[in-house]
Amino acid sequence: MARTHQQSLIAFLTVASLWAVPAWAAGAHDVVSSEDIIRSIGIAASVAGILLLILVQYVYRERLPHGTYHRLLLVGVFLLPLAATWSTTATVMEGTKSVQACRSCHVMHPFVNDMTSASSPTLAARHYRNNWIAKDQCYACHVTYGATGTLAGKRDGFRHWLHYVTNTYPDPIQYVGSYANSNCLSCHQGTEKWERVKSHQTLVGELWADRIACITCHGPPHPLPRERTVAVASRDASRGTAGGLHGQ
Amino acid sequence: MIIMPSDSDKPHGLTRRELVRLLGTSAGLACLAPLAGCGSFWERQAAIPVDSWHKGVCRFCGTGCGVMIGLKDNKVADVKGDDDAHNRGRLCIKGLATRDILYSEGRALHPMIRKNGELQRASWDEAMTLVTQRFKEAIQTHGPDSVAFYGSGQLYTQESYTANKLFKAGIGTNNVDGNPRLCMASAVTGYTTTFGKDEPAGCYEDIDHAECFFITGSNTLECHPIIWERVRDRKRSHPTTKIILVDPRKTPTARHVDLHLPILPGTDVSLYNAMIHVFLEENFIDADMVEHYLSFQEGEQKRTFDDFKRHIAKYQPETAAKTCGVTARDIRKAAFLFASSKATLSLWTMGLNQQVQGTASNRLVSAMHLLTGHFGRPGATPFSLTGQPNACGGVRDTGSLAHALPNGRLVANPKHREEMEDLWKVPRGRISPKPGYHTVALFDAMNRGAVKCCLVMCTNPGQTLPNVTAYREGMEKTFLVVVDAFHPTETTKFADVVLPAALWVEKEGVTGNTERRYHLYPKLVDPPGEAKSDLEILVDLATRLGHGDLIVTRTPRDVWDEWRKVSAHSKYNFEGITYERLQKERGILWPCPTETHPGTKRRYVPGQDPMASGTGRFDFYGKPDGRAVVWLDHQEEPLDLYTNEYPLIFNTGRILEHWHTMTITGQAPTLKDIHPDYLEIHPYDANRFKITDGDPVIVKSRRGEVELRARLSDIVQPGMVFATMHSARHLINQATHDAHDPFSKQPAFKRCAVSVRTKTA
Repeated sequence: MARTHQQSLIAFLTVASLWAVPAWAAGAHDVVSSEDIIRSIGIAASVAGILLLILVQYVYRERLPHGTYHRLLLVGVFLLPLAATWSTTATVMEGTKSVQACRSCHVMHPFVNDMTSASSPTLAARHYRNNWIAKDQCYACHVTYGATGTLAGKRDGFRHWLHYVTNTYPDPIQYVGSYANSNCLSCHQGTEKWERVKSHQTLVGELWADRIACITCHGPPHPLPRERTVAVASRDASRGTAGGLHGQ
Repeated sequence: MIIMPSDSDKPHGLTRRELVRLLGTSAGLACLAPLAGCGSFWERQAAIPVDSWHKGVCRFCGTGCGVMIGLKDNKVADVKGDDDAHNRGRLCIKGLATRDILYSEGRALHPMIRKNGELQRASWDEAMTLVTQRFKEAIQTHGPDSVAFYGSGQLYTQESYTANKLFKAGIGTNNVDGNPRLCMASAVTGYTTTFGKDEPAGCYEDIDHAECFFITGSNTLECHPIIWERVRDRKRSHPTTKIILVDPRKTPTARHVDLHLPILPGTDVSLYNAMIHVFLEENFIDADMVEHYLSFQEGEQKRTFDDFKRHIAKYQPETAAKTCGVTARDIRKAAFLFASSKATLSLWTMGLNQQVQGTASNRLVSAMHLLTGHFGRPGATPFSLTGQPNACGGVRDTGSLAHALPNGRLVANPKHREEMEDLWKVPRGRISPKPGYHTVALFDAMNRGAVKCCLVMCTNPGQTLPNVTAYREGMEKTFLVVVDAFHPTETTKFADVVLPAALWVEKEGVTGNTERRYHLYPKLVDPPGEAKSDLEILVDLATRLGHGDLIVTRTPRDVWDEWRKVSAHSKYNFEGITYERLQKERGILWPCPTETHPGTKRRYVPGQDPMASGTGRFDFYGKPDGRAVVWLDHQEEPLDLYTNEYPLIFNTGRILEHWHTMTITGQAPTLKDIHPDYLEIHPYDANRFKITDGDPVIVKSRRGEVELRARLSDIVQPGMVFATMHSARHLINQATHDAHDPFSKQPAFKRCAVSVRTKTA
């Protein structure tokens, strides 16, 4: 009897987990990324954990052997939340790096549209279409190099999200503070093209201190307020480079 | 842990309610962290803290980039590009350096008078009394033409306008010239002989529409970097856009072009005539233009299109190729790309202007556009680039040159003189009918003793004059008053009086950039020491010389109002560019006759240019018959041919990081360590003259010699050497030639014959 109950419980949880598999399953031609899998596992673990606890505590408690009841409680209270926490962390830390994640707020549409345009001369667009950055193109330039860089990047993302959901962002949006040149220098400094410009060499201290911005001479990195367009991204946007906009 | 209840009171520690309250308060306080100076934990901070931002314009070149100036404790702390200006937030490295220029070393802080050979500190009153006395003496004893004003394309419009008015309508001499003579004079004569009016017809926005760029005599990447980025943006957006470059050197610009024609300096006329030859041969000529909008002229004689064709027949690409040192195939290719594109834009600057056939070269580039119909459409225009922030608006438009009067008028024209006498409310006949001394003639007159006193403002002729050694004696002899923001310079060395001037945003004024855009520099900080604005100095001098009733407008705003109203009586009309608009907008392109007019992008086009009338394609209203002039110009023998004794051609120019004579950039902490004291020499020639990289070398011309350090480079062709104009340590102008264009009087800095030897040899 107990075994039958256990089997039906497992079958139920499996169905519940499958229900939680997100929409990527529908587009069979799309590439499934590790973030998608991790996110699905997390959602499944959360749903399964909640259901398990409800079932074990309120439906099957009387019918389960004492040992099984305790083991299932362990799974529901500890192991599945652990999986959900791991998945959430991974999603927040990894999933939000994607261009798709940035584009999920509509204020970012003009920037992604411009970046993915085949004819835009902005720095972002040139880096994107020439594949100078392989994936997570927004994140690559907006996280800062160095020990606290990731922290600063995540904090910025959190702040942006907070402003977005509370509708307290300025329109047009503006970059706050000095952009960290280390993002540019870590790739460009030392290259032949960079070295042959004499002022780069004499200004290297000012550049690393962010007292002179690379983008002042070489920008603008994104369209200026009056150039931003919320029109549907051009067809180039859907060409799906790695980490780009697959799934659109 | 179990807290044991006691009968005396509540448990030690917090109740649940207190805990929640405490957590809530903590969260609330955390949100206030940014206000408590912990903002850096919440968001990124500016590397340079600033109290307030103000709109302004860059101090340096003629591009006239919009800047935002950040003040902290009433000092300029930071400068960044203005997103709303034409430069879209971009600045070059010199523009960024403006944040430091006001506070660099070497600022002139108080007036000085030369006593016993030494410049000694003096009071303003003492210095101005002396200046007034010497000017009055000279005028009374030797006449008004014994005094002169030598100005600059860096003075604000109000300053050049006031100086011009004081000297021409007050003192009564046309000895008013300035450094634009060394810079843009051939562009002026090129435009005026072709269109009847000075200044380009197009604007920067044309760059965004061009399909072919013909860049000639311009190292745009280094000398106009923000314009060059806009050209590159066009190519990035439309990769089929072609860029043709004509430059004797393989400059950094040449790395990014589709076709480079490394012609020999001074052979431009042959090249452009040969390109026109191809236009005729391949039937690229716009017949409608020839029939309705063009006339032909050679010297004083009117010519026909058939005369023009016969003239051009002499310039077969195969013949020109030999003169210019390029292949006929490349000339044909350049001509084909130029004529066949949907819209061709030409850019040029000193390479064309600083040669003995500067005027001819300028008007031939315009002729190429007119003959092929690449004119007056978006992206199709000839467009000269200017070197200084206010050569256009301040000097060319105000007519602050020896032969000129405001808004394109000429001294030699009696009607023009009368018009200006009426506008300036002075008796008829006050303005002298005799054109003054142009730059080279002025310093020659100082040598001869014909000019006794000269007021030099905001420029450094002691370094920039061609064949400078020959003119230093005259500067020594003349009573020289030098007004500059910096001291010492190569010119203050010869000064009898040095007056300290305010720099950039230490004074207010308006400048006009390359594209006819007038824009405002606000006064944001006080000048250092006792320095004053050039306008204050001119107003003071005018009053002391007894011309206070002529110079009635005395503030930047009042002078501007007077000037824009004067312009209403001309085809330059910018009466609609009011001070309020200048304060609000990012500059306005003239003509702009009313306060509601948006400014003019393309001149001579009816419907776009408020000065143009009729319904045709064009109205060249600067010419009596409404037709632009195509000139029949002949290639002359290039200047200063090389010989066995002087086997190399010496070419001069600039680098990205420095500007003019380095008076400002040489003091800026971000730029001063970049040294321009080198001589580019091809390894072939280096081997021939037994020179190795880094050797100290002597460059010797027929006029003088200069010591530089050899830099072996294939940027220059064999047979040619190159040095920059920047450094005062090594004056290249001791070697350059003072020959000049017969029309524009602009000297030929770009070509002279030299020999090079190692210093020890």
